[in-house]
Amino acid sequence: MNDTFYQEFEVFSKRTPNAAFSHQFSLLAPNKEMALIMAQENFMRREPVVDIWVVKRSDIRGLTPDEKQMLQRLDNKEYRTTKGYGYLKKKWRHYEQQMLDEKEIMSWSGEGEK
Amino acid sequence: MQPYTPLFEREALTEEQKLERFIARIENGDKIEADDWMPEEYRLTLIKLISMHGISEIMGALPEKEWVPKAPSLRRKLGIMAKVQDEMGHGQLLLRVVEDLLTPYGKTRGDLMQDLFSGDLKFHNVFHMPTKSWADAGLIGWLVDGAAIITQTNMLGASYGPYARALQRICAEEVFHAQHGESIIMALAEGTPDQKAMIQESLDRWWESLLMFFGPASKETTGTSKQDITIKYKIRTKTNEELRQSFFTKYIPRVLSLGLTIPDPTLRFDEEQQLWIYAQPDWDEFKKIIRGEGPRSKERLALRRTSYENNAWVREALAETMA
Amino acid sequence: METPNKQALVDLLLQLADDDFLYSYRGSEWLGLAPHIEEDVASSSIAQDSMGHAAMYYQLLEELGLGSADMLAHTRLSHERKNTVLVERVNGPGYYMETPEYDWAYAVARNYCYTLAKKIRIDALKKSSHAPLASVAVKINMELYYHLMHWQTWFTQLYSSTETARDKMDAALALVMADFGDVFSYGKNGAAIEEARLIEGENILLDRWYAAITPVLVGLGVTLPEIGHERNGRDGEHTPDLNDALATLGEVYLLDTTAVW
Repeated sequence: MNDTFYQEFEVFSKRTPNAAFSHQFSLLAPNKEMALIMAQENFMRREPVVDIWVVKRSDIRGLTPDEKQMLQRLDNKEYRTTKGYGYLKKKWRHYEQQMLDEKEIMSWSGEGEK
Repeated sequence: MQPYTPLFEREALTEEQKLERFIARIENGDKIEADDWMPEEYRLTLIKLISMHGISEIMGALPEKEWVPKAPSLRRKLGIMAKVQDEMGHGQLLLRVVEDLLTPYGKTRGDLMQDLFSGDLKFHNVFHMPTKSWADAGLIGWLVDGAAIITQTNMLGASYGPYARALQRICAEEVFHAQHGESIIMALAEGTPDQKAMIQESLDRWWESLLMFFGPASKETTGTSKQDITIKYKIRTKTNEELRQSFFTKYIPRVLSLGLTIPDPTLRFDEEQQLWIYAQPDWDEFKKIIRGEGPRSKERLALRRTSYENNAWVREALAETMA
Repeated sequence: METPNKQALVDLLLQLADDDFLYSYRGSEWLGLAPHIEEDVASSSIAQDSMGHAAMYYQLLEELGLGSADMLAHTRLSHERKNTVLVERVNGPGYYMETPEYDWAYAVARNYCYTLAKKIRIDALKKSSHAPLASVAVKINMELYYHLMHWQTWFTQLYSSTETARDKMDAALALVMADFGDVFSYGKNGAAIEEARLIEGENILLDRWYAAITPVLVGLGVTLPEIGHERNGRDGEHTPDLNDALATLGEVYLLDTTAVW
């Protein structure tokens, strides 16, 4: 066969400077330079892109169906999240203060000193 | 570095248990991925369906590309170039999905091409037909792609994740194709008498192919039909006939509103049954077309084969650059 | 604008417009036939961009009162066309809907050499005395980085692969260079074009092209074949390939030039 050059490359792109890379699709190419010059026009012809990655599929270590068992977790980890500290709201009310919750804290970006 | 080797193997499941779990997953609306266990019948059904879909996109570029240079304005030239590019792009997405399904059999894109040339891999009936006028370029975008949108949106929720994701991209682009076609048709419909006649002539020629596009209502008509299996595995939800009926409901009023006549005097909507009654296309002709004995089947295959063989040296050269 | 300058401007714009119009057409003939599906999709974008560039130049001509962009693109006869012969050449023997024997090596060699020349012309046009042209050049330039990267990758990879590929590339490059003589020419009206400072001189640009391609060729161990000067497309000297191309490109438009399509 003369089709031995077919290797899979996974294509990732970033839509805006603030966005994370996200997976788009895969293509066949003989090497990463070729994969790169084909990536945008194959999968992102109509959308803005600020960066592209092409990764040879065989270089990716993913999970086998069996290994997906490692993703299982018990639902007992409230201590890792704000959910475990919800009682504080009531406490702060006692001290006549508002609780600084996630919504409040995340809203501080760029608003300067309050 | 050695990959992790589990010390405790999962309790081995019997084939029956695997199948049970698989069915439970798809019943649950879970998506099956390329590496997951799947019954052979499911894999083969997907391969057959998606390879035909993918290769049809690739073959579908040929009748339309004839009109790329002939498009009658700079804007139309650009629009149709982008449209044919998308068809090739859809072929790329779908063939990638099939190629990953073919991995266990050690088959690649090259084998799919060989299957096409040998006649084992079929392509859609519409792409065996000639295109004769600029109106065909518009009609293909409007109605053939319209029919394709109906069958493809029906599979957006397909149980096979990679196919569903490819269809998501494809359907988004089909919306552009339909509007591209509508824009051509609208200009002709509002144009000179010759331009109007051009669309009617095109519709007359394409009507039967459009009916055939959805496939026979049942396997009694043509001897085979994969629709039952694809519904069982939640790859699609509606039958061929249901899809054809929704095509009628969506498009017949639009066709008529432009002052066009549908070349079927028996066509009517039956209020009682809530069904469109229409003259059946010649299903024997359909079988012949799909077998590769359609009006342009040989030429289109020859064109594809010539270009594939002419470019063999390029693929060999690329193999040398592998890294 | 004074008359002699206007004629010079029109000439130059027609050269630029016709170049990209035919270049795009030859690129689009590969649709569905490229050696690799992913490449088919990618190179179609380049053909589309190039048609977009042609449309911008024809639009400038329309604004100068030369007639509509579509009319200029579709109705002018072969001897009125000012494109370089290089872009009118067929991709290979055979009608595009029957058994076209297209040569990918020729496509790569032509597209690379042409795109490099286009980049050099566009850089020079950014300083054109005709402000609307300079501003179009700035826009077109944005898309050329990718075009050049694309074709240079193909050019170097094919040259660095099999012996067959190398032989084919050598043969293709010889064909391309045989038609390259008029690429940087401005035709009979060239002196007026340069005097009006619409663009820098022919030889300056040609030297820049040599300077840009030489390191690539040296890296690949390729000697540039001699440049031929058989015809000057800028003066309306064309091959029969152009007649066939124009007949196809205008087939539907010419059915009724007053209709809305």
